[in-house]
Amino acid sequence: MNAVLLARVHRAPVAVLAILVLSASLLIAGLPRMMQAAYDDALGHLLDQTSATQTDLLIGRSPATTLDVLTEPAQFATANQTWWRLLPPELRAVTDQGPGSRAHYNAKTAGTPVAGLLGRRAMSGQFVNLGWLSDADRRVRFVRGTPPGPAGRISVPDHPDIPRLDIALVEQASKRMNLPIGTVLVLGHSNPVAARVTAIFEPLDATDRYWHHNEDMLNVSVRVKPSGDDETHITSLTSADSLLSLAGGARLLTYQWVIPVRSSAVNARNADSLIGSVARYIDRARIEGSVAGYAPQTGLTTLLSGFLDRLRAAETLLVLLFGGLLAVSLGVIALAVQLVGERTHHALSLMRARGGSLGQLVGTGVGLVALVTVPAVLLGYGAAFLVPGPVTPIVHVGPLVIGLTAIVFCAAQVAASHRRPLRDRRDDMIARRPSIRRLTLEVIVVVVALVGAYLLRNRGLTTSEPDPFLMMVPVALTVAAALITVRCYPYPLRLIVALVTRRRTAVPFLGFALAARARAFSALPVLILLPALAVSVFAAVISSGLNATQSDVAWQRTGADARIESTVEISPEAIERVRRVPGVTAVVPASKSPVQVGRGGTVGTGLAVDLAAYRAILAGTPLSVPEPPTSATASEVPALVSPELIGNATLLVGWQKQMTVVPKGIVAAMPVLGRELRNVVVVPFDANERVGARTTVNTLFIKGTGLDGRRLSEAAALAVTPVSVTVEEELDRITATPLAGTVQWTLLVVTAALTAYALLAVLIMLVIGAAERGTALSFLRTLGMPERQARGLTVLEIAPMIVLTTLAGLLLGLVLPVALGPGIDLSVYAGDLPVKDYPIDLITPALLAGGVAVVAVLGAFAHAAVSHRRALGSVLRVGES
Amino acid sequence: MTETPTLSELEAQAVRGRPAFGETAHILCDNLVRIFKTEGVEVVALQGLDLLIEKGELIAIVGASGSGKSTLLNVLSGLDVPTAGLARVAGTDLLSMTAKDRLRYRRETVGFIWQQTARNLLPYLTGRENVVLPMRLAGNRAQKSRAGELLDLLGVGDCADRRPGEMSGGEQQRVAIAVALANSPEVILADEPTGELDSDTSEQVFAALRSANRALGVTAVIVTHDDLVSEQVDRTVGIRDGRTSSETLRRASEDGGTIAEEYAVLDRVGRLQLPRDFTSALNMERRVRLELERDHIGVWPEGSEDE
Ligand SMILES: Nc1ncnc2c1ncn2[C@@H]1O[C@H](COP(=O)(O)OP(=O)(O)OP(=O)(O)O)[C@@H](O)[C@H]1O
Ligand SMILES: [Mg+2]
Repeated sequence: MNAVLLARVHRAPVAVLAILVLSASLLIAGLPRMMQAAYDDALGHLLDQTSATQTDLLIGRSPATTLDVLTEPAQFATANQTWWRLLPPELRAVTDQGPGSRAHYNAKTAGTPVAGLLGRRAMSGQFVNLGWLSDADRRVRFVRGTPPGPAGRISVPDHPDIPRLDIALVEQASKRMNLPIGTVLVLGHSNPVAARVTAIFEPLDATDRYWHHNEDMLNVSVRVKPSGDDETHITSLTSADSLLSLAGGARLLTYQWVIPVRSSAVNARNADSLIGSVARYIDRARIEGSVAGYAPQTGLTTLLSGFLDRLRAAETLLVLLFGGLLAVSLGVIALAVQLVGERTHHALSLMRARGGSLGQLVGTGVGLVALVTVPAVLLGYGAAFLVPGPVTPIVHVGPLVIGLTAIVFCAAQVAASHRRPLRDRRDDMIARRPSIRRLTLEVIVVVVALVGAYLLRNRGLTTSEPDPFLMMVPVALTVAAALITVRCYPYPLRLIVALVTRRRTAVPFLGFALAARARAFSALPVLILLPALAVSVFAAVISSGLNATQSDVAWQRTGADARIESTVEISPEAIERVRRVPGVTAVVPASKSPVQVGRGGTVGTGLAVDLAAYRAILAGTPLSVPEPPTSATASEVPALVSPELIGNATLLVGWQKQMTVVPKGIVAAMPVLGRELRNVVVVPFDANERVGARTTVNTLFIKGTGLDGRRLSEAAALAVTPVSVTVEEELDRITATPLAGTVQWTLLVVTAALTAYALLAVLIMLVIGAAERGTALSFLRTLGMPERQARGLTVLEIAPMIVLTTLAGLLLGLVLPVALGPGIDLSVYAGDLPVKDYPIDLITPALLAGGVAVVAVLGAFAHAAVSHRRALGSVLRVGES
Repeated sequence: MTETPTLSELEAQAVRGRPAFGETAHILCDNLVRIFKTEGVEVVALQGLDLLIEKGELIAIVGASGSGKSTLLNVLSGLDVPTAGLARVAGTDLLSMTAKDRLRYRRETVGFIWQQTARNLLPYLTGRENVVLPMRLAGNRAQKSRAGELLDLLGVGDCADRRPGEMSGGEQQRVAIAVALANSPEVILADEPTGELDSDTSEQVFAALRSANRALGVTAVIVTHDDLVSEQVDRTVGIRDGRTSSETLRRASEDGGTIAEEYAVLDRVGRLQLPRDFTSALNMERRVRLELERDHIGVWPEGSEDE
C-alpha cells in the first residue's frame, strides 16, 4: 500500500506526529547547544575575570649564582624557545604567541630598598625594584624624558664607582614617592647600584591583561607595617643594557617567561583534557629546567578543575531535566504513533486478511511513519543549527534517537497487533489478575527506588564525576510512582463507584464505571503524564529555590536596600547629600575596617554601627541583625563578636586606637560580612569616639525605594568613587551570569515543554479512544441520555486518570528535590552560595499541576462536544470494524 | 416424486463420499472445536462440528444467531485458529499451519466477503485498486487487466474507477467479491454478504457469487439468514449450538420447480440432533427409547409402550 496515500488520508494524526517529532528534535538538539554555549561562556567569563597570572603558564627562575645570570636578551629568547617547544600540541593550540599577545619574559628584582638619593634625603621605607620587559617597546610610551639608555658607572658619596643604570617610572610612582626625572637613587645597601630616573612612562593600554603580570610597575603598593610606618614599593622599567647589573648578592632577582593562554580557546569541553596537558607540560618543563632551577607554575589547573566540579553538579540537574524531557517527548511521540496506528488499523488488518505478510504490513506502517518522521527530524535537526552554541554528539544523536524511536515503535506496534490471526481478548474486561511474577517485579522496582533515594540522601554526593547513581534514582522513582499509580488506580475509583451507585442519576455511575474499565487507561499515558508533571514540578521547585537563594544572596551582599562603601571617608555632608536623594528614606552610617583582634596580631574585621537603627531599616526585608549589645557603664565598649571570640572576658581591638571591648553576645552572621564569621567585632557606632579617636564613616546602609546605585554614588560626590549598589543591581549581577541565565531559561523551557506534552498526551489519548467512546455514548444516547450528560460522561471517564496521575506527578515532583537535594549543587548559579533547602513552595507546583489537570479535563470536554456533533447514525457505525 | 432415501441409503451415500472420512472433500471439518476464553469464562462456539464440502459446490450455512457460523467461517478463512479437531481446506490442514503456510493459504486458497460493506473495501482506493491490492500483496503480475475482467464478470465494470463511497451497497459487495476472487482462490467464503442489502440488491450479489462459482469453478460457502439465498443453493447446512444439525438438499423436479428435502445430520460417532419442535411435540425429554426396525430406527418418548 502506498504510504503517501495513507498519509494523505490520515492527515490529522500524521500532522500531529510530524509536529511532535519536529519540536522534539529541535528541543533535543537545540537545548544542549544552548546549555553548552552557556557553559563555555561561563568558563570564558571566569578566565577573563581572573588575573592573567593565574590563567597563564609561567616559568620562573631565581638565579642562584652570578654564573646563572642572563645578561643578554638573546639568552632569554633561547630559553623562551625551549619553553614553547615543550608545549604539548593540545596546549599549544590554546596558547597565544601572535602579535599583541601577552607572551613575553621579564627580569625583576624584588624588595630593592632605596639606600639614598643623590643630593637630598630619601624618604624612609621606599623600595624601587628594577625591571626589564622583553616587549617594553610595544607596551609602554615614554611621556616625558628620555627612555632608559645604556648603563654606565658613577661615583656617589660613600660608593665610588658603582654601576649606573637608567630607569623610568610611572607618573603615579614618581609623584607619590617624590622621584622626579633627574633623581639619582642609590639602590641596595650592599653592592649598591645607582639608578637615574630618566623618563616617565605610561602603559599603552593599561586595561590589557598583560599588565596583570607587571602590575608592580604600574601601581605603587603600600605595605602597612605593624610599626605603623608604611612601605611603598614600585618596580621601575629599565633597559636590556642593565641586565648585567640587576644581579647582586643581596638582590632578589627573578626571571619569568609568560606563556599566555587564550581564554577564548578554553571551553567547558576541552577543559578536562587541558588539565591533563598542563600537568604534562609542567612535568616536562620541570625536568628540562631542573638543573638551572626553573620553576614552572600556573593557576590554570586549579581554576579549571574548580570550575568543572561546580559545572558538573549543575550539569547533573540539567541532564536530569533534559533526560526527563527526552523520555516524555519520546513517550508522546510513541502515543502519536499509536494514534496513527489506530487510524490505519482497518487498512492494515484488511491487508492482512487479504494476504499481506507481516513484513508487508510493517513495511507499510513504517513507510507511513518514516514518511513524516524523517523530514520532521531533519527539519528539527537543521533548525537546531540556528541555536547558537557548539555542536556536541547529543546534537546528532538526539534527533536520530527520536526518529528511530518513532519508527521502531511503529514497527513493533504493527507487528504485535497483526502477528496473531485473531485476538481472542475482550477489551471491555480489564480486571485481569496480575501474575505473581509481575507483582514481585513491581515490588522490587519500588523497593529499589526507595532504597536508592534513601542512600542518595544519606550518602551525599561525589561531585568529582558524573554520578550514575544520581541519574538512576529519579528514573527509578518515576517508574515506581507510575507502577503504583497504574496498580492502585482502580481502588479509589471502585470506592467512588460504590458511593455513586446509590445515587439516582446514572451519569456518575456510568462515568466512573467506564473509567474503571477503560482501555484508554493503559500504562503509556501514565508513563507520559507522570514524569512530565513530576519533572516540571521538580523544575519549578528548583527554580523557585534558586530564585529565593539568589535574592537571599543579593540581600546578604548588599546589606540593605542599597549600600555605599567607600575607600575614603564619607563626610557628614556627603551623608546628608545621600539622604536627600529622592527615594531614600533612611541612611545608617557605619565604619568598617580591618582591625587587629587580640594581642597576637590577628587581623579581623571591625564594624561600628548603630545596630538599633540598622535593625529599624531592615524591618520588612529578608535580612536581620542582632540586638545592639548593652553596656553596663558608659566607658565600657560593649561588642558582639564572632563565635570563637566569645570566650574572652575582654578583648583588645586595634582600630584607630587600641580599645578594649567587652564581648556581650555572638554575631554568627552579618549582612555584607558573611555567614560564617571569624574574627569579627561589632561595636556601637561611637566606639572609636569613646576611646578618644574619630569615627571614619566609610559605609552607608540605605533604605528607600526606586534607588539607583549610580545616582547615590554621584550624590555622595566622594573623592574616590565608592562601591554603590542596590539589591536589585546585585541580583541582576548574580542572575546575569551566563550559567545562571541559562539554567533559569532551561528550567522555564523544560517546564513549558513538559506541560505542553502532558496536555498533548491527554488529547491524543482521547482521540485514540474516540471511536470506542463514540459508539458507547451513541448507544447511551439512543437509550435517551441527553447530550449534555453524554459529554459529562466523557469527562468523568477521563478525569479520574488525569487527577490521580497529576496528583502522583505533583507528589513525585515535590519529593525529587528532597531526595536529590544534596546531589544538586546550584551554588554556581546563586553567587556561590549553596542552594540548601528548597522551600516547599506549594503554590507554583500546585498551580502547574492543577492547571494541567483542568486544561486536560477541559480538553476532554471540548473533544466530547466536538465529537458529539456528528450524526448519531455515523457515530453508531464508527466502532463497527 | 421419489421416495425419501432411507437411512441405510444415506449411510451408503456417505460412505461413498468418503473412503476414509472426507478424504476427497474439498473442505473438511471433523469434530471441530473452538473455545473462546475470556477472563475465566469459556464460550464454546464450535463444539465438535462436522462438515464436508465437495469441490465446486455452492452451499449456504444457516443457523440462529450465536450458533457459531461466523466462527466457522473465520476458521475456514484462516483468520482464526480452532482449538481442536480437524479442519482441512484444499488439502491444507488449518490446525497445523505455520505462519508462512497461513499467509500462502490466505493468498492462494481462500477469498472472503464480510457482511459489513465498509469492512471489505478500503474507502480511499477505487474499485480496481481494491481488487489489485491482494494481487500486489501476493506479488502477482497481470494485475490491471485481470481486475477489469473480474469486475466485468461480476457486472460492476463501471465501478472500476469509483471509490466505495460512490458505489451502492450492492456494488460494493460485488466489488468485494471481485477482491476475494483476485488471486484465483479455490474457495470463496462469504459471511452474510447480503445482510445489509435489500432483496433486489441481494439477488444481484448472490447472482454474482453464483456466476463466480459457475464460471470459475470456485467452491463457495455462504453464511446467510436470507431465505432468498438459501433457497437457491444446492445444499443448505444448518448449524445449531456449534454443531451441524441439519442439511437441506435441493434438486430440480420434473415440473421445473425445486424439491427441498431436509435431513438430520448423523455425525461420525452416530449422534443425531432431533429438531426441537419434534421433541417438544412428543414431550421427549432427557431419555428416548430407540428401536431398530428393518429399514428405520424408531424413536419413542420415555415411558411409552410398544403396541
Ligand atoms: N472473540 C470472541 N470472544 C469470545 N466469544 C466469542 C468470540 N467470537 C464469538 N464468540 C462467541 O461464540 C459464539 C458464536 O459466535 P458467532 O459469531 O460464530 O455466531 P454467529 O453464528 O455468527 O451469530 P450471528 O448470526 O449473530 O452473526 C457466540 O456465543 C459468541 O458470543
Ligand atoms: Mg456472524
